[in-house]
Amino acid sequence: MVSRRNALGLIGAGFAVGAVNLPRIAFAAADTNKRLVVILLRGAMDGLSAVPAYGDPDYDSARAGLSLPTPGQSGGVLKLDAMFALHPNLGGMKALYDSGELVVVHAAATPYRDRSHFDGQNLLENGSEQPYGLGTGWLNRALAQMPGSGKPLGVALNSHMPLMMRGSAPVTSWAPSLMAPPDGDTVQRLAALYGETDPVLARNFANAQGANSVAMGSGGGAGGYQAFAGLMSAAAKFLTAPDGERIAMVEIGGWDTHVNQAGAFSPLSTNLLTLDRGLAALKTGLGPVWKDTAVLIVSEFGRTVAMNGTQGTDHGTAGAVFAAGGAIKGGRVIAKWPGLKPADLYQARDLMPTTDFRTIATGVLRDHMGLQGAQLAAVFPSAAPIKQFDGLIRA
Amino acid sequence: MTIQGVIAANRFGLGAKPGDVAKISGDPKTWLLAQLTAERDLPAPLRSLPSTVDDMSAFFKWVRQIAVEAKSHGMDPYHLKPQGAPAAGMGGMAGGAMTGGASGSDTGFSIEREYVKAFLPRYAVAVKARFDTAVATNRPFFERLVHFWTNHFVVSGAKPGAITMPPSFERDVIRPNVTGRFIDMLMASSKHPAMLFYLDNFHSIGPNSKVGKDPSLRAPKQQQDFAIPQVVGLNENLAREIMELQTLGVRSGYTQTDVTNFARVITGWTIAAPPRVPPLKLMLEGRLNAKGLFEFDDEEHEPGPQTIMGKVYAQTGVDQGEAVLQDLARHPKTAQFISTKLARHFIADDPPPGLVERMANVFLASDGDLAKVCAELVNSAEAFDTDARKFKTPEEYVISAARALPALQVDPGSLLRAYGSMGQTPYNPPGPNGWPDVEAEWLGADAVWKRFEWANQAAQTVASATMNPEQLAQDVLGPSLSKSTEQAITRAESPAQGLTLLLASAEFQRR
Repeated sequence: MVSRRNALGLIGAGFAVGAVNLPRIAFAAADTNKRLVVILLRGAMDGLSAVPAYGDPDYDSARAGLSLPTPGQSGGVLKLDAMFALHPNLGGMKALYDSGELVVVHAAATPYRDRSHFDGQNLLENGSEQPYGLGTGWLNRALAQMPGSGKPLGVALNSHMPLMMRGSAPVTSWAPSLMAPPDGDTVQRLAALYGETDPVLARNFANAQGANSVAMGSGGGAGGYQAFAGLMSAAAKFLTAPDGERIAMVEIGGWDTHVNQAGAFSPLSTNLLTLDRGLAALKTGLGPVWKDTAVLIVSEFGRTVAMNGTQGTDHGTAGAVFAAGGAIKGGRVIAKWPGLKPADLYQARDLMPTTDFRTIATGVLRDHMGLQGAQLAAVFPSAAPIKQFDGLIRA
Repeated sequence: MTIQGVIAANRFGLGAKPGDVAKISGDPKTWLLAQLTAERDLPAPLRSLPSTVDDMSAFFKWVRQIAVEAKSHGMDPYHLKPQGAPAAGMGGMAGGAMTGGASGSDTGFSIEREYVKAFLPRYAVAVKARFDTAVATNRPFFERLVHFWTNHFVVSGAKPGAITMPPSFERDVIRPNVTGRFIDMLMASSKHPAMLFYLDNFHSIGPNSKVGKDPSLRAPKQQQDFAIPQVVGLNENLAREIMELQTLGVRSGYTQTDVTNFARVITGWTIAAPPRVPPLKLMLEGRLNAKGLFEFDDEEHEPGPQTIMGKVYAQTGVDQGEAVLQDLARHPKTAQFISTKLARHFIADDPPPGLVERMANVFLASDGDLAKVCAELVNSAEAFDTDARKFKTPEEYVISAARALPALQVDPGSLLRAYGSMGQTPYNPPGPNGWPDVEAEWLGADAVWKRFEWANQAAQTVASATMNPEQLAQDVLGPSLSKSTEQAITRAESPAQGLTLLLASAEFQRR
């Protein structure tokens, strides 16, 4: 049987060729106006560098060698409240915090408690309680709960398809190209050939054409932190297109800072700036849609509290999670703070996890994207029920 | 031409050159097994690549120069402003830099641009040499194994300081050992300066070692020697990844304590330097000694016996770490892990458990003889299953297209653009786990489109009025060519379009 999705995909393929510049009115829009962006920080962000607990009496001793100057000092951290601050390179996020559009969640973690990046990322992406516990991603399962037309409602700004976005719900992907687009006749012939020989290629080929018509002219060319900002701008194009996607996923690597974390050539401060600039680019690109948008920023786990032998940190457990956007009821730090004394730490080395990332994610999925009980359980299946975090979204 | 010939050329090789399928169809199994022997001579494109010492020194020489230059532009090189941030590896630079696109909006001095200028040409030469080797080879199964193992023992240029190092690591550690014993490759990898650098072990110091107890013993650090860690202690990165990614595999029973103890065991495994001089200092000064790049430094080694997975290692020198590696290499979990990865790479994303089991048994019985493990794979019934269950990676795709089209001229810049836009920059995987090896990761909308764009571009450059794409399709795809694809090629409006359809066809993209 040809599924509805494939049938629509094939129609789309033949049709998009000549219709690249036409408004995409052929398909019904999603039922929701809300947008969700997930930014995955691969490599384990050091939560205590991004969000230093400068007010903790044990901060300076626990972070000897890594602690940053206090608020107000030259190069000092950006004060959020009496306890927490943001890294000096997160100035844009500080502005969001001040305007009530950023929530910082500290000492947060997924259920993962070992220290493999790849298992940790796999669990974070598959949304179960085990690495490889599910072969699909939680964001795709969230999409599957949303009524739609068969047209993709999710986009990965990526040349790979990340696990978080894989599953039965149709999703597309896009990344900048430096090559000339082939002519329409060849496109049409190949679409027809895939239709006869390979449904998976056919579906993805059709989705790519749709994505190209939205993102045309985006990104491309820039390297380093501009590349990430370019992807975020492209994400905004998808999310604001008429009948556009509702969920976007973007990732950025390079957070595995075992060495010289505070040093000048350290990628950590660059990465934080990249993130900050990217979020600003997203906000700019979304324009008025920003008010309907929630952004979740998460990494697979945190890092050791103490500096290791090489001025970096090793793999840890809890870290910081961010929720940003015009839809977020922000301007606050959510933390059941576990403390930084040796006895307070997880296995005497890591920040103790006190908030389950899934409570944040399900709080946003419920109050922002409108998912309910059984739907949420399908997105994050768990042995014990997950209590959704209340009040993350503006009324 | 037989379907077995096509399978041998694609599933185990790097795609057929014209005439290949006809040539190997008679006895494809023997053709494959004959490639499971050591390489006699280094392939020509690799002979002129820089030495390991040059690789190890180049980045740090540049760092020293750039610090001076940055100062002359009024920048403080030790507290870099964002606009001066180094690129996150060549993956990020394969795009803009090659088209001359500025990576910053201004035209002034930027460290990021300088980094690209300094290292992109060198990186491009190395990637092109790897490509030329793969396109030319008559031992494509051997070459696939080289690529497989480079993706197992990973040194990635995504770490800026390691940008120059992967090619010589591949040449010195991987190529000589892919048909040898696993322990030899593991030992060579664990002692190679590139691996010791990439996973930080070269400056991991035992807290109770002589230097650990008295850090002042180390040569006094220069003012603003920013790249040199100023404290001395343990770094568990390499120890963890050897256990997790290179031998036992994750969740195979070892604990955090095992990782930490193993990290202690391999303290002192470092890059050769005069006593108490941090190797980074030598690198920065361009003074690395060509001989003996690996060194065991007793003064940095954590003394005392260590327990790993229940076994006590009481050796006192480099033999302590060697003994651990010997045990890791022969562990049944390692046999299982390596066999699973090989079977996944060649046969199916979810490899048949029976096949993995048989390969693991051969691994254990032969003391990790990789030629025998691969022979077991080739001799299995699953090897020639006519269902093509693997989707080529971008690199395999581009190489196989170039093999099918001898007239295709690929310059280093266009090669980097192709790899970059398809999301796989050789020598620069994002992390120490290497590139993914499953279809779900590679076959998304963007990936399919980028391959099509590249195929179209390649076809335009080689097609001529006298070219017959239909004949080429039959030559390189043999009996695997479907009626639909054959027809689409025949009906194409031009040889270029026919060629595009051939290269983009499902048969050409799957193996």
